[in-house]
Amino acid sequence: MSSAENQDSPAPPADGKKVFKRRGFQIFGLGLQDVIQFFFSGNASLAIIILILICFFLAKEAFLFFPDHHKDLKSYRQSGQEFVGFISEEVKAHTDLYSTANIAYYAEVNRTSGKEDTILRTYRTVLANVENRSAKTWNRLERELDALEDVVDDLEDHDAEDEEDRAEIAKLTKEKNRLEALTQPLRDKLRKEVNTIIEWEETWDLGVGADLPAEEDIAKIREAVLFEAYPDAEDEHPFIEEMKSVSKEKKAVVAEELAEFKETTKAMQAAIRPLKDLERELKKPADENKKEITSFSTAPQRRDAWLKGAEATDDPDEKARMRAKAEEVVIEEPDYEKINQVFYDSIAKHATLAAPLEVEMKNLYEQLPAPTEVETKSAKENLKRAAVFYERFQDRMVSNRKQIKEWRHDASISVPESVSAFLFGRDWTTNSSWHDFYGLLPLFTGSLLISLIALTVAVPFSIAAAVYVNQLASFREQSMVKPAIEFIGAIPSVVLGFFGILVFGEALRNLSQLEWLQWFPGFPMAERLTILNAGLLLAFMAVPTIFTLTEDALNNVPQAFTENSLAMGATKLQTVFRVVVPTSLSGIIAAVLLGFGRIIGETMVVLLVAGNKIKIPDFTEGLGVIAQPAHTMTGIIAQELGEVDSGSLHWRALFMVGMVLFVISLLVNFTAQKVLKKFQRI
Amino acid sequence: MSDQESEETLSPEHSSVTTSAQQPDTADIVIEVDDVNFSYVKGTEVLRDITMDIRKGEVTALIGPSGCGKSTLLRCINRMNDLIPTAAITKGEIRILDTDIYDPKVDPIELRKHVGMVFQKYNPFPQSIYENVAFGLRIQGIKKKPILDEAVERSLKLAGLWEEVKDRLDSSGLGLSGGQQQRLCIARTVAVEPKIVLMDEPCSALDPISTTIIEELITQLKEEFTIVIVTHNMQQATRVSDKTAYFYLGELIEMDETIKIFNSPSRKETEDYISGRFG
Repeated sequence: MSSAENQDSPAPPADGKKVFKRRGFQIFGLGLQDVIQFFFSGNASLAIIILILICFFLAKEAFLFFPDHHKDLKSYRQSGQEFVGFISEEVKAHTDLYSTANIAYYAEVNRTSGKEDTILRTYRTVLANVENRSAKTWNRLERELDALEDVVDDLEDHDAEDEEDRAEIAKLTKEKNRLEALTQPLRDKLRKEVNTIIEWEETWDLGVGADLPAEEDIAKIREAVLFEAYPDAEDEHPFIEEMKSVSKEKKAVVAEELAEFKETTKAMQAAIRPLKDLERELKKPADENKKEITSFSTAPQRRDAWLKGAEATDDPDEKARMRAKAEEVVIEEPDYEKINQVFYDSIAKHATLAAPLEVEMKNLYEQLPAPTEVETKSAKENLKRAAVFYERFQDRMVSNRKQIKEWRHDASISVPESVSAFLFGRDWTTNSSWHDFYGLLPLFTGSLLISLIALTVAVPFSIAAAVYVNQLASFREQSMVKPAIEFIGAIPSVVLGFFGILVFGEALRNLSQLEWLQWFPGFPMAERLTILNAGLLLAFMAVPTIFTLTEDALNNVPQAFTENSLAMGATKLQTVFRVVVPTSLSGIIAAVLLGFGRIIGETMVVLLVAGNKIKIPDFTEGLGVIAQPAHTMTGIIAQELGEVDSGSLHWRALFMVGMVLFVISLLVNFTAQKVLKKFQRI
Repeated sequence: MSDQESEETLSPEHSSVTTSAQQPDTADIVIEVDDVNFSYVKGTEVLRDITMDIRKGEVTALIGPSGCGKSTLLRCINRMNDLIPTAAITKGEIRILDTDIYDPKVDPIELRKHVGMVFQKYNPFPQSIYENVAFGLRIQGIKKKPILDEAVERSLKLAGLWEEVKDRLDSSGLGLSGGQQQRLCIARTVAVEPKIVLMDEPCSALDPISTTIIEELITQLKEEFTIVIVTHNMQQATRVSDKTAYFYLGELIEMDETIKIFNSPSRKETEDYISGRFG
């Protein structure tokens, strides 16, 4: 046995060499392999620990919001501000109704003077534009003319008879001549510039698709602009004067026709006055109450601050002064019953005002012309909206009647009430002199609307692109299109937002003026920075995400399915739409969900482009709501977090918004994972 | 070059085979492969000078070692090779029912409706059993429920699957066992009533019992369809086929009655292969 072994093995252990090498490198009994493994697993767990810390920190900061918010809501109620708030709501509901009716009226009054108004508008735009563009020469000329005027005035003050003045007069005359010689070339230069500008219609900046006056009127407008574009121009050009008076006359004719309409709107405006007065009257005590309550709740802190200051200083006088100050701080709870008496007294007064207001508004609303009775599109639309606002006004009056009657300053606020005040609050008002509201709804609606638009646009585009690239395109096309689309993801969002402000917003607004696009909801748009603009840019940003993930899903469909389908005599398109796409459907749904997650979390673009108006968009405009500006949950955090005191209620409110975003993203990702799992099973 | 020469020198020997194939009456011939060369990439031919006739109602088995071109020939018959951009027939014609299928006027989509194919790896679509069988009819635009119902039942019966699945037609086709899935694929293929069914190693991924079931199925199906089957399993070829063609290195070495090929092949290469001395 042993002899056979010796024969077989080429390196016998007899010469002292070992068959096996011992493990060389060791730390704490761990080999190199173990250490490397430990390094990688350590990195992974570090990332997870940091994630958990972030979640914990976020949650801690955010959930402390609720107790503070509860306290804040309580002070809102105890100070009587809530009571005044009810009245303000009524006034607000009325204003919405009144102003829509008013807009309808003016749209209708202007219906016959369209031509003249167009001329006047064009004239004003061109004039402003001309003055803007020739500002340099214009300003210089103005300066010289002012100087000349001074000299002429001076000359008049001097008496030619006077011996002393004579020298002065000579000097001034010389100056006058010099200035006159100077102004003439300037005048010529300005005329030349103005001529160039008004000759070149493209620089008029009237907006694409805006109504233009007739040819012969344009010539007259040119003349009028040329007449008017000097610092020392006389009154308006006769043509403009004429247009103004014609427009005025025409309006007067229609106004006479619509006298009743006007009366109605005026009466509406007048009807609310007593309630408005009451609101104003009550705001003052509410404000004072609030101050008192705030002072009471902060008193201990203030006293502590003085005492701390006294301890810190070495100067005995200063110490004594601060001690005295600390003593001065009164900690006395206000008598809530007493300070709110004024509101309890007003309940009856409000009732006597509200009841007739309701009746009167009903009458007045019925006197408004029906949308069919007016001619212009704007008037029709606004009267339709007025109907919605009237209903809201009625509802508001009914619900507030009860609330005001039963209002108590010491009614307790339940936890669900305070939570829903945040989640479903309709106002986000901060740094206000009255009361700060932290309602998520305006931000949430903004985010949701923008995301919906982005998804509506991005989903069909990216899925179609993915299907094409993956299934139908030639190899050459694939190698060109894929990197191009994936490159979109590499564009920094701030650059895209910048593009949205400077280029895309303006282009979109110009586009919205075009006659043949007026069927599109929200067109023509008055604003550049709108929900639509932000939505479209975000759609662009979401395309690479959805495209890449959809393409992956399509790639995962086994080649055999395609082959089988083709062997059955299916065409390429049938194969794609009946086999490949249905098979990868869950993957595509997951792609869309992740795209949604990408969109709703996007900050920079919406902050720059969405218009940042913190208000629930006005849904009475139907789909036209997309032409309004909005603010978003991400945008508000980025915008306000830098400016608030840490630990304040506002600060915590922003963290809470972040928390909501976090939860939404979590849900979206979780759902996407679930859907994907289902997909992987086949 | 030498291959071609050897082919020429050998042809007299088994001229009886080719003549016997053409003897009875030419009307029976369904597929006529006429002196075909085929290449995937220009310049390297994987099929050379293939000439064979396949008759109606017969099962023809294509055998040969891996890479001999039998699957390629199969895929030429329903033009599945069109999917590979550079692949092309460089010489000769394939005629099905007297139509040259590589004629530019022939629509491959239309052709594949008549020439069905069953693949090695069973691949039901991730849809219900019913939808899987109805797929071929649906893509032809048939929407009427009674017609579809009738076709599904008939095809599943043909594939011997009806009794097993008739109560769960709406459940997923992926829930069936391997053998059942393959029979489902066969049902799907025959549902459109093709004239020819091509089978590319239909049993190689199945267990012996499923294989037996499928083999029985093939012998039943040949009454309605002309079947061409590629197989690595020579016992299977003897069990199911009427004719056998032996391929080697892209050439058709010999084709004859299965009994004759396996008992007294006229070529030595064939004998070597079937006796297991090589391959």
